[in-house]
Amino acid sequence: MNRTDDVSPDLVERCQAGDVDAFEELYARHSGRIFSLAARMAGSPETGEDLLQEIFLQAYRKIGGFKGDAAVGTWLYRLALNHCLDFVRSRQAKMDKATGTIDDDRSAALPSRHESPVEKIDLERAVQQLPPGCREAFVLHDIEGYEHREIAKMLGIAEGTSKSQVFKARMKLRALLT
Amino acid sequence: MSPHPDGVTLSEFADDALPATAAADVRQHVTSCAECQALVQSLRDVRRAAARLPQLQPRPEVWTRVERAIRAEAAPRRATFRWSWLAAAAALLLAVLAGYTLADLRRQPAAAPSVAATSDDPAAAAQFVEAELRQAEDHYQKAFTKLQQSVNDGKGSLDPQTAATLEQNLAVVDQAISESRAALRAQPTSAPAQASLLESFKSKIALLEDTVALINEMRNGPSLKPKGT
Repeated sequence: MNRTDDVSPDLVERCQAGDVDAFEELYARHSGRIFSLAARMAGSPETGEDLLQEIFLQAYRKIGGFKGDAAVGTWLYRLALNHCLDFVRSRQAKMDKATGTIDDDRSAALPSRHESPVEKIDLERAVQQLPPGCREAFVLHDIEGYEHREIAKMLGIAEGTSKSQVFKARMKLRALLT
Repeated sequence: MSPHPDGVTLSEFADDALPATAAADVRQHVTSCAECQALVQSLRDVRRAAARLPQLQPRPEVWTRVERAIRAEAAPRRATFRWSWLAAAAALLLAVLAGYTLADLRRQPAAAPSVAATSDDPAAAAQFVEAELRQAEDHYQKAFTKLQQSVNDGKGSLDPQTAATLEQNLAVVDQAISESRAALRAQPTSAPAQASLLESFKSKIALLEDTVALINEMRNGPSLKPKGT
């Protein structure tokens, strides 16, 4: 989870003083990473942009309390992750929807020939089509690099459920990509 | 050949996340099972491709939205601060007046001395006070109407939270006016009751004037440091 963060203390101080130019620079440096997380967790670039806006507005409100204990990029990412998780929980509560229709029948998703079809198609779009539940676990595990125990804590599910959701997502992606 | 491991176990095997003993068992099966071998390979392919997904970029207009939201955020923040101060001041004033009035009304007899009540004829004095207060109330009522009109015209400039706070505070002041009137009806010659009603009128005037000033300030826009300076 460690990423380079070359934001200077001066930039942070300017942000804390309400300098909009400095905040724009902070946004320019970190919006791609945060948007990637938000869009993938939400399963929609449009919702990802809405979340990105909310996250940076929240960052603007809270940056005055940033003490510099961690890199500002880490602080921003954590803020973004929490915001995305809140969004996911809220949506799950509203939808009360089944998390997936894929069963563990492996043969249905097995490729007829040994090949690597994921290289050929639009994985990004396929991730968007994953059912809520397994998409979040997949994004956090396979894209963001979190461990199952961390994901279980974040999403409020059992570790075994996280493993199962990631497996289901991978199987679904194979099916979507072939 | 041993039975097929379940999918989650194969997925964990593909991630090299199984404990050594379990991993050895699965490896033994996978080596001799083409179906599971293909599945493990494709699970690894998906994971590898996911890890290589490029970073996405939001559309440029998202920053415009963020910037607009930040600037809009700054104005209500100042307004809320200002309004909080006003509300606190009004509440303090009302609390002081209410305490003063109640304490004095309880302590003083109905014929407590006031300027008007020094008259030899108490009935005439009460009539005099009533007439004076009615005149004062007419004066304040005209001011209320004028200021309230300005507030109603400009209420759209206030954010909903501030507008709601305004309504609440006006309701508090109106309630204080009603209570002061009731106290005065009970003891028409009481100086504290008279003062309470007049102070309630002044409080309402002050609140309305401050609201109009706030609306004008909101219309003039936020005073955040301009971009590029």
